Amino acid sequence: MFTLMIGFILCIAVIGFSLSDRKELTWPEKFVKDSAAYVQQWFYKPAGYIAGFFEDIGNLRTIYEENEQLRITAAAYSRDKINYNFVEKENERLKEELKFTQQQKEMYNYNYLIAQVISVSNDANNRTMMINLGSKNGIKPNMAVTTVDGLIGLVSSVTPFTAAVTPITELDEASPTFNSIAVTIMGRENDSFGILSSYNKETSRLVMTKIAENDKMEIQDTVITSGLGNVYPRGLVVGTVETMQLGDFGLTYTASVKLAASFDHLTEVFVVQVPELEEAGK
Amino acid sequence: MSMNRILLLMFLLFIVEGAVMPWIIPAGFGHRIIPHFVFVVVIFSGLYSRRHLALLLGVSFGMLQDVVYFGHLLGINAFIMGLMGYFTGVLLERRRSTIMMAISIVGFACLLYDSVIFFIYRVFRITNESYAWALIDHILPSLFLQLAFALACYVPARKWFEEQTKVKSEKSEE
Repeated sequence: MFTLMIGFILCIAVIGFSLSDRKELTWPEKFVKDSAAYVQQWFYKPAGYIAGFFEDIGNLRTIYEENEQLRITAAAYSRDKINYNFVEKENERLKEELKFTQQQKEMYNYNYLIAQVISVSNDANNRTMMINLGSKNGIKPNMAVTTVDGLIGLVSSVTPFTAAVTPITELDEASPTFNSIAVTIMGRENDSFGILSSYNKETSRLVMTKIAENDKMEIQDTVITSGLGNVYPRGLVVGTVETMQLGDFGLTYTASVKLAASFDHLTEVFVVQVPELEEAGK
Repeated sequence: MSMNRILLLMFLLFIVEGAVMPWIIPAGFGHRIIPHFVFVVVIFSGLYSRRHLALLLGVSFGMLQDVVYFGHLLGINAFIMGLMGYFTGVLLERRRSTIMMAISIVGFACLLYDSVIFFIYRVFRITNESYAWALIDHILPSLFLQLAFALACYVPARKWFEEQTKVKSEKSEE
């Protein structure tokens, strides 16, 4: 009984320690995480290859249709590319003429670091993923992590060789450990605004709040990050708007957003490095 | 089976549940079926070995899990795994549990483990879901996975832990 009490007190102490607002992990944690990750990466990738092989066999039938679709999108891209080149040139010229500083010019010049997932947590309420890039590769906490489909999470803590990614499904206003993300609508970046405040696990949709009353947001619109606040990069796809209704106080609207990315069978993810992170911090 | 061998195998299980199981679980069920293989082995060690061993294994592997997958709180898994292992040991250490007994104990332990973790997260307001939803969403589906695993590793786990205790008690008699 006595030991139980001691254990309980110790447990509370450790939980309290981990809840406190700490900037960095302690070195024993870093050491354990790095060594565990070192072993885990031998397993995750081969398992992925084997599972991927069977999935490929299953996908053989749909490959023809997919190929056709991809060809159509590739054609659309080549048309857009020409347009984009002109716009980019002009944009550059205008920036020169308006005497943008170097910092302003490179503000949106994001660097995408490719990382491998090495393991996924087996706790239903904490689906943290480990990736094989760490502070030695320039990863910092709060960087956004995406797949080719869309945003999946934020880096929550880093060790020298690994980083822990908190998936966006853990997003929660009330939680002491996570921030909200400012978003907008693709195609109407200057008109729409909302904040992804939490994730409703029961309906598995993101909740987007603080949408203005006169916002022209529609169902099936694509939600992207807006980059306002300069913490998270702009232009990352989050998902599509599914429903919209009046918020709690009747002044703003609330929308539910269906995530674009899937969290199962992840292999490569991209960590988005924002160039001006240090300057923005100052 | 020596202690080192058991530790190595449990570490391997820990790796498997983090790195291999996400691939085996079909897409779409990743957040619903969650493996707790190490926990099952801890319960087995409580059943067929000594309770102090179960406590130690539970605390150390729970802590390993907490540290490696640190997301919100540290030390929950260590505390609960150790506690559950110890109490299974207290209740059933001396009895020679049959397979049905062992499997049902593992089932109850897994239910309790998931529920307690859920309630701790509720207390710290990291999740806001209702317990009924959590039960249907992930606690019950993953229970089946745990039961299947317990059934599969019942024979070897029992053998290892019983041998391990036998060696230990022989040594202490000498």
